Amino acid sequence: MADNFGKGKTGNTEGSSGISRRKVLSSAVSATSVSLIPLVTTSCTTPIQPSGLVLSAEAQPLLEAFVDRLIPADENGPGALAAGAVFYINNSMADWNSQETDVLVEGLFALTRAARRRFDREFTLLSDSNKDALLRDMEDGQIDGFDNSAQIFSRLHRLTLEGMFSDPYYGGNQNYAGWDLIGYPGAVMASSPDMQRMGGRLPPLHTSAYGSDFDGE
Amino acid sequence: MANNLPEVDVVVVGLGGAGGVAVLPLARAGLNVLGLEAGTWMNPTQDYKADEVHNNVRALVTTGSKVGNEIPTVRNAPSETAVQQARHPMMNAVGGTTIHYHAQSWRLNPWDFQVRSATIERYGDGYLPEGSTVEDWPVSYAEMEPYYDHVEYEVGVSGVAGNIQGQINPEGNIFEGPRQRGYPMPPLRSCDFLDHMLEAGKETGFHPYRGPAAINSQPYDGRPGCVYHGYCDRGGCHVRAKNSTDVSTIPKALATGNLVVRDNANVRRIEVDNTGKVTGVTYSRDGEEFFQPARAVLLGCYTYENIRTLLLSRSSFYPNGLGNNRGQVGQHYFGHWDIQGGTLVTALFPFDINIWYGAIAQGVMVDDWADDNFDHSGLGFIGGASLHVYTEKHPIGAAGMGTFGKVERRWGSDWKAFIKENAGRTQTAYIQTNTFPYTHTWADLDPTVRDPYGDPVLRITNGPKRNEPMAAAHAADRMEEWFRKAGASDIVNTGGGRGPGLSTHAHGGTRMGTNPDTNVCDPWGFSFEAKNLGILGGSVMGTAGARNPTQTIQALAWRTAEHLVEAWDDITA
Ligand SMILES: Cc1cc2nc3c(=O)[nH]c(=O)nc-3n(C[C@H](O)[C@H](O)[C@H](O)COP(=O)(O)OP(=O)(O)OC[C@H]3O[C@@H](n4cnc5c(N)ncnc54)[C@H](O)[C@@H]3O)c2cc1C
Repeated sequence: MADNFGKGKTGNTEGSSGISRRKVLSSAVSATSVSLIPLVTTSCTTPIQPSGLVLSAEAQPLLEAFVDRLIPADENGPGALAAGAVFYINNSMADWNSQETDVLVEGLFALTRAARRRFDREFTLLSDSNKDALLRDMEDGQIDGFDNSAQIFSRLHRLTLEGMFSDPYYGGNQNYAGWDLIGYPGAVMASSPDMQRMGGRLPPLHTSAYGSDFDGE
Repeated sequence: MANNLPEVDVVVVGLGGAGGVAVLPLARAGLNVLGLEAGTWMNPTQDYKADEVHNNVRALVTTGSKVGNEIPTVRNAPSETAVQQARHPMMNAVGGTTIHYHAQSWRLNPWDFQVRSATIERYGDGYLPEGSTVEDWPVSYAEMEPYYDHVEYEVGVSGVAGNIQGQINPEGNIFEGPRQRGYPMPPLRSCDFLDHMLEAGKETGFHPYRGPAAINSQPYDGRPGCVYHGYCDRGGCHVRAKNSTDVSTIPKALATGNLVVRDNANVRRIEVDNTGKVTGVTYSRDGEEFFQPARAVLLGCYTYENIRTLLLSRSSFYPNGLGNNRGQVGQHYFGHWDIQGGTLVTALFPFDINIWYGAIAQGVMVDDWADDNFDHSGLGFIGGASLHVYTEKHPIGAAGMGTFGKVERRWGSDWKAFIKENAGRTQTAYIQTNTFPYTHTWADLDPTVRDPYGDPVLRITNGPKRNEPMAAAHAADRMEEWFRKAGASDIVNTGGGRGPGLSTHAHGGTRMGTNPDTNVCDPWGFSFEAKNLGILGGSVMGTAGARNPTQTIQALAWRTAEHLVEAWDDITA
């Protein structure tokens, strides 16, 4: 949408509807009558590529350690690290969230400075329980000399969720780890009544909105 | 400076929910109509995605560049400095905000049109909320009925009627006013969760019904039925089953040959002659300025821009803004979702409800605690709120759910186990409160914040209200009962509301009424002062029902346009 502005798409719409005559995908049109459209891509076909790593070699491991504690790998499946949340956040900082990069990176550095002060080592080298103790203080705004820690925590927390649960197209939620965790079957172009049934979880579809079959291109 | 263009009969400014409907009766009547729209055409198969990041996180379908540049500032009281928020999710496009809205499509109920007299009659004078400037509408539900009917059939609305010519159907809304006929399409399909809620609502003693939607439940007007993929909220419809005006009324108007749509046209001023009559509009397009003469102008830029455009259009005849010689432009402003207007009740069920797919308008509504559908004696407030449960849940939002006090933090292994079990088990009811105008809620121009043209943005002053939070909290308690009956194990009820903020259901500011000293528009929606200027949108409404406003906005737009046709000689003289 934003891209549509200022593209000089003018003149050609006067006097006619200007609506694209491009065929609406026929499977979608008839979808109400069939049970389930398999809009399947086995894995996400074309994730967007990062335009270079935004995070520096110092910041990257800190972010990795951060997301790894926020959504750890455990008996309930892969965590944010394996799901590629850091990849998502890098991508997001490369374009959409670029203005935020500096303040978030500065926040990660403040976190590791606090680790050094309290435990005498970098944040990445702390035990899980010490990491968690520090993260709790960060979330609660209880770290000396790190005034905006709660705010930074909240933004990084939010970006970690996005990285874990967004469409794999953006580089996170790899192998649908996030969607499998919460039971979201996958993006579809049409849902059947059966996909809105209650009682138990729906089977995973592992489909991205940007799979090759998705929009009929 | 400005290029002068050939005169047209009518310029409609803004082709959104309101303007996009008004063009149809005008074009059908054979008038030469020009639609000036700040945005451009959307391409459903390219621009709309089944993607939460695209629609909800990054808001790539919603905020248009113009809307984003002129977000009003907000404050609670005149002593405060108003602050501009970062985003407002209205749209600049042919079709306007109906492109990504939820398309719940209601008629207001008869009470909404006569709040003042009905309250006085039933409860006495002293029962009206203190400081409220509420008046009866200059039009009754019965007079609006034919226009609601036009909209339901021309835009396309799916639903089940509750009252056809006085015959009550308990499957529909038993509280609705009589309608001449049923909807053109049956309601959107139901699903297990909604069936379950419908039954639970009945057991609670309420009168639940499947809500109406401006979405095709079956093929209609050459377009397909809904595919329930679950990305309706803040996303457009890739199969064009959502009846935004760019796929419904605007194409029909274009087909008459009498409408021209000029997109990317940003109207900056409405011009008048020295008798106060409107002569046309000045707009910018691709960096150039144009003067477009017209016999009549209909303004449909959404409430905020309607008010602002009038206030900015100063002249020697209207030194305080067009049609504002009595100081009423910007008065009687109120929004649904602003301060204390809304309330949240979220339920956790001990079973998977699977509402991932569907659409927000695929829902069940309860009206028992709205309007004056129950006895308010001794309660100390008027009005109430509707209760709506619905489908469509997105994964990031689901994972970001509240934790009902069950885990300490929203991260870590405990939390991960919690969302694994519960992310698919919650629902937040949509509770919309009857809202009224007050002496301490208004809009004017901000003294410092400006848009890129250097024009001041609008400033909203929105003091605290007493009536609306009480009405909302009363309804929220009923919602809690309903959720409990449905088997919810945990409920979070935030009570009386949130805010301050802007509203996607902004009302008033160019109110329509019979008294020119307290209203900007006459009973047909035309300026009392500039007779050939009609105003379209929620800005003409004097009360907000306990439901979304768009179908009423559209019915009013149709009525105003039809009046222009019928009273053409008089209005354009
Ligand atoms: C997320 C969301 C969900 C919603 N869900 C519902 C719902 O379920 N049911 C419901 O009834 N309502 C809903 N609404 C509200 C609904 O969108 C509005 O009531 C409706 O769109 C109002 O119509 P309008 O024509 O006044 O404004 P819009 O539809 O916003 O249209 C205004 C148009 O005017 C154009 N414009 C503005 N300024 C200028 C200018 N200076 N020159 C030229 N053009 C201009 C804009 O570009 C825009 O296209 C929702 C809104 C949002 C944001």
